[in-house]
Amino acid sequence: MIEEPALGSGFEAEIPLSQQSEEPLSLRIRRLIDSQPFAVLCTQGEQHPYGSLVAYSMTEDLTTAVFSTPVTTRKFQLLSQSDRVALLIDNRSQHLDNMMNVEAVTATGQAKRVQGGRDLEYWSQLLIARHGYLSNFVHSPTVALFCIEIVRYFHVVRFQEVQQWIPQKIPG
Amino acid sequence: MDSPENTWIVSLGETPGLNAAVVGGKAASLTRLISGGIEVPSGFCLTVFAYQYFLAQSDLPKVLQMELGRKPLDKMRWEEIWDAALRIRSAFLKTPLPPELVETIYEALRQLNPQHPLAVRSSAPDEDSAQRSFAGLHESIVNVQGQQSVLRAIRTVWASLWSDAALLYRKELCLDPSKSRMAVIVQEMVPAETAGVAFGRDPRNQAVDREIVEAVPGACSNLVDGLLEPDRWILRRSSGEIVEWQAGERNAERHDLPLLNDGELRVLHTRLGQVEKLFGWPPDMEWAEQGGTLSVLQARPITSGLTDSQSDERRWYLTLRPKFMQLRRLAEKVSTSLIPELDRLGHQLAGENIATLDDPTLADCIEERRSSLISWREIYKKEFIPLAHGVRYFGAYYNDALQPQDPYEFMILLRGQDFLASHRNAALQKLAQGAQTNPALQMKLTEHAMDLSGRSAESWTHLKKKIADVQGGEVFLVEFERFLATFMDTSYNGERLLDQPDALFNLICQLETIEHEGSTHRRENEKATATALEQRLLEAVGTSRKEEAREVITIGRLSWRLRDDDNILLGRIESQFLRALHLGANRLRATGRLSGKNPSENSAPLIVQALQNAQHDTIHLDEDQPETIQHHLPPNETPRQLIGQPASPGLAEGPARVVNGIEDFRNFQRGDILVCESIQPTMTHLVPLASAIVERRGGMLIHGAIIARELGIPCVNGIANATNVICAGDQLMVDGYLGIVTIGAPDFELEGQAFSEQP
Repeated sequence: MIEEPALGSGFEAEIPLSQQSEEPLSLRIRRLIDSQPFAVLCTQGEQHPYGSLVAYSMTEDLTTAVFSTPVTTRKFQLLSQSDRVALLIDNRSQHLDNMMNVEAVTATGQAKRVQGGRDLEYWSQLLIARHGYLSNFVHSPTVALFCIEIVRYFHVVRFQEVQQWIPQKIPG
Repeated sequence: MDSPENTWIVSLGETPGLNAAVVGGKAASLTRLISGGIEVPSGFCLTVFAYQYFLAQSDLPKVLQMELGRKPLDKMRWEEIWDAALRIRSAFLKTPLPPELVETIYEALRQLNPQHPLAVRSSAPDEDSAQRSFAGLHESIVNVQGQQSVLRAIRTVWASLWSDAALLYRKELCLDPSKSRMAVIVQEMVPAETAGVAFGRDPRNQAVDREIVEAVPGACSNLVDGLLEPDRWILRRSSGEIVEWQAGERNAERHDLPLLNDGELRVLHTRLGQVEKLFGWPPDMEWAEQGGTLSVLQARPITSGLTDSQSDERRWYLTLRPKFMQLRRLAEKVSTSLIPELDRLGHQLAGENIATLDDPTLADCIEERRSSLISWREIYKKEFIPLAHGVRYFGAYYNDALQPQDPYEFMILLRGQDFLASHRNAALQKLAQGAQTNPALQMKLTEHAMDLSGRSAESWTHLKKKIADVQGGEVFLVEFERFLATFMDTSYNGERLLDQPDALFNLICQLETIEHEGSTHRRENEKATATALEQRLLEAVGTSRKEEAREVITIGRLSWRLRDDDNILLGRIESQFLRALHLGANRLRATGRLSGKNPSENSAPLIVQALQNAQHDTIHLDEDQPETIQHHLPPNETPRQLIGQPASPGLAEGPARVVNGIEDFRNFQRGDILVCESIQPTMTHLVPLASAIVERRGGMLIHGAIIARELGIPCVNGIANATNVICAGDQLMVDGYLGIVTIGAPDFELEGQAFSEQP
C-alpha cells in the first residue's frame, strides 16, 4: 500500500529513528529536578497515604535524594512505620496556562534516616548546598535527615505520556 | 496608529483600518484603496481584538492546547492534523459569541445595505506578502444572508486559521500557530455582470512588459473556485495594448466573442496602474463590474518571492481543500474509468499464461508489468489519494450543517458499503465454517498452520496432497483455491499472499470460533440511524440545497469505498508483477544463474538483463539481514504509557503481536493485540482475531480505525515507533476511549526486589 503522502518538512517520510530520539530521558529528568527545588513526599502508615512538601537535593547520578524533617511531624512518624516512599517533582507552576506543557516525575524508593558521623555531614552539606537558608534547620537536634534510595522514575509529559527510567549508581 | 484593544469593528475606509496588525493585510489594503479613491464594496472589518476576545471568553484556548499539544506538530502526519483541525472547527462552530460582541456586529450590519448578500472573508495579519500567500488556505464564505448566518460564517472563518492546510503552511513558514490571529472582513457582494482577476505583471515572468486580465461572467467566485474557465488577455503593461486573447469556456463550450470589450480592458489597465501607484507594487487584484462601475474586491502583491518548492508546497496544501466541482470530476473519473480499468488489467494479467514464454519474452513481460505497476502507483498518488478528500469534504459539510456533538457522527452514513474486502472476509468466514464441521480437516489445518518449514511451490503441492488425504480435504481445497484466486491475488508489504497460502490456515482455524451473534441486529440498527441522520442533514440544508447534499453524501460514500478497493486492486497488479519476476528468477535459479534470496522489486532490472542475455554473469542476491528490533531507548529506559489518537472506543488487554509481514499471520492468536505500522486493506482479514489495534500511522479515517469501529474493537493509532518500542509478547492495555496504550502491569516488583536485596 502506498501511504498517503505526508507534507512539509518532517512530513515527507517517516523520520529515521536516530533523528526521532530526542534528548535522553535521563537528561530531561535531570533538567526538571534541577529546576525544581521542592517535591511532594508521599508516605504511608496507619492505613493512610499522606503527602508533604519538602525541600530536597539530589546526587549527581540521581540515585539518591535527601531531605530533612522535624521529628515531631506526621511524615516523620509515618516514615518510621513504612520506609517505602514516592517523591513527586513537577513544573506545573510554570505552565498554569497549558497543561500539555507540564512535566513531572514520580520517583519511587526507600527512605533511610541518616544518623550521625561523616554520613550526616555529607548529606547535610548536599541539602544545604541547594537550600542554604535551611542550614540552621538541618542542624537542629530536633530535625532528622533522610535519604531516599531511588529505584526508578516515572516521567510524564503531555498529560499522559509516561516513560520509566532506572537510575544507575555511579561507583565511588 | 495604535488601536485600543476594545476596537472590535472598523469600517472599511476608516483610518484605523490601515493598521494591518489589527485588521489584517487584506482589510488594510481595501481601506487604502478606498482612501485612494478606488471603488470598493462597502463593509467592515472585525479586528483581531474581536477574535482574541471571543477566544478569551471561551474554552477554545484549552481545546487548541489539547489538540495541538498531544504530540509535537512535526511528528503528526497530515491525517492526524486534519483530525485535530476537524475537532477544532467543530469546537469553534459550537461556541457562541459573547452577547456584547454579537450586539456590536449587529450594529455594524445595520449600516450595510440589507438587500445585498454578504461576503465574509479572512484577513489574517500574516496572510499575504510578496514572499508568501495564504490565498485559498483560509476560508471565505460568499452569499451570506441573515444575522445568524453572518455569525456562523465569522466563526467558520476564525476556525480556518486552524485548518490542516493553514497549520501545515504556517509550520512550513516557521510561523508559530499559537501566535496566529485572524481579522474578518464582512463586505457587501456586488451583483456582478462580469468579474475576474488581474495581475499588474505577468506572474510567470515579471520582467516582461506584460499584464494579465482574466474574466468570467457573474461572480468572481466562478473563477476563483474553478467553476468556469476564464477568458484571458495579455496586455502590454506600458500601453495597455492587447497582445493576446484566449477564449474561456461558457456553458461547457469555447466561444468566439471576448467577454470584455476594448474600453473595459482599458479601464482595468488604468485601475491596475492606479493600484500599483498607491501600493508601490504591481497587484494581484480581484475585480467585479456592474452597470459600468468597476469595483476592486481585493488587492495583494503578486507572490513572486516563492521558491519553486515553496510554491509546490502551497499547491499541495491547497489540494487539502479540494473544491466540490473538482471532487465531482475526480469521482466520476475514478469510478467509471480508472477503477474498472485497474480491475480489468489485474484480471487480464492473472489470465495470461506466462509459463510458456521464452526467456527474452518473459523479460519483456516483467518489464511491462513493472512499468504498468509504476504508472498505476502514480495514478494512485495523483487521482486516488485526492479522492479520499471526498470523505473529508462530506464530514466538514455535515458538521457545518448539523454541528453535531460528535464531530465524527457523519461516519455512520458511510457504513455498510459493498467493499471488496467485505466480500473477501465473508468468503473466508464461509471457509472457516466449512472446516468447523470436519474435525479431521481442522486438525490437519491446525497442524500445518503452525508448521514453519519450507515455503516453496513444491511444499505447497506436498501440503495439498496431505490435506487431500483427509476426508473432505479435496472439497475444501477446491473451495480454498477458488478463494485464493478470487481474493488473494494481491500483495502485502512487497510479498504475494498467494505465495504463502498456508499462512491463512491459522485464520481459518480460529475465525470459526468468533461469535457473530448480534452483528446482524447491530447492522440493522446502524442502517436505521444512518437513514435518520441523512434525513436530518437534508432538512438542515433546506430544500434548495437538498440535491447538493445528496451528491455530497454520494461522493463521500464513493470515496470511502474506493479508497479501500483501490489498494486491493493495485495489490493485484503488484502480485502479478511479482508472479512474472519470480518465474524468471526460478528459471535462472534452475540453471544455476541465480543464487541467494528471492528477488524483490528492486532486483527486477537484474533479472530482466539475465533473461535477455544467456551470457549474463551469475547473479547473487544477498539475504536480507535479519531485522533487529531497534529499541532507540537505552536499556534502563522503558516506555510505560504511550499516547496516540483514540481511533475506536473500548478497553482491551492482551499480548502484543507485531505484524510486519505475511509470516506474522501464522502466529496470530485470537485475543492478541495487533501492533503494526498501518493496517492495510490487503490484510484486514486478520483483524477479527485481534482484541485491539495499535498503529504507528494516525488518523480517524484510515483503514485500521475504520475496521476497528466496524468490528467494535478498541484502536489507538498515531503512536510513533509503535512497532519499535512494543515487543511481541508485551502485555498491553489498550484504552480506545482515551488513546492510551499501557505496557506491562502497574506493579511494584522492581521496588520489592530492590528492597529485599538490601542487607
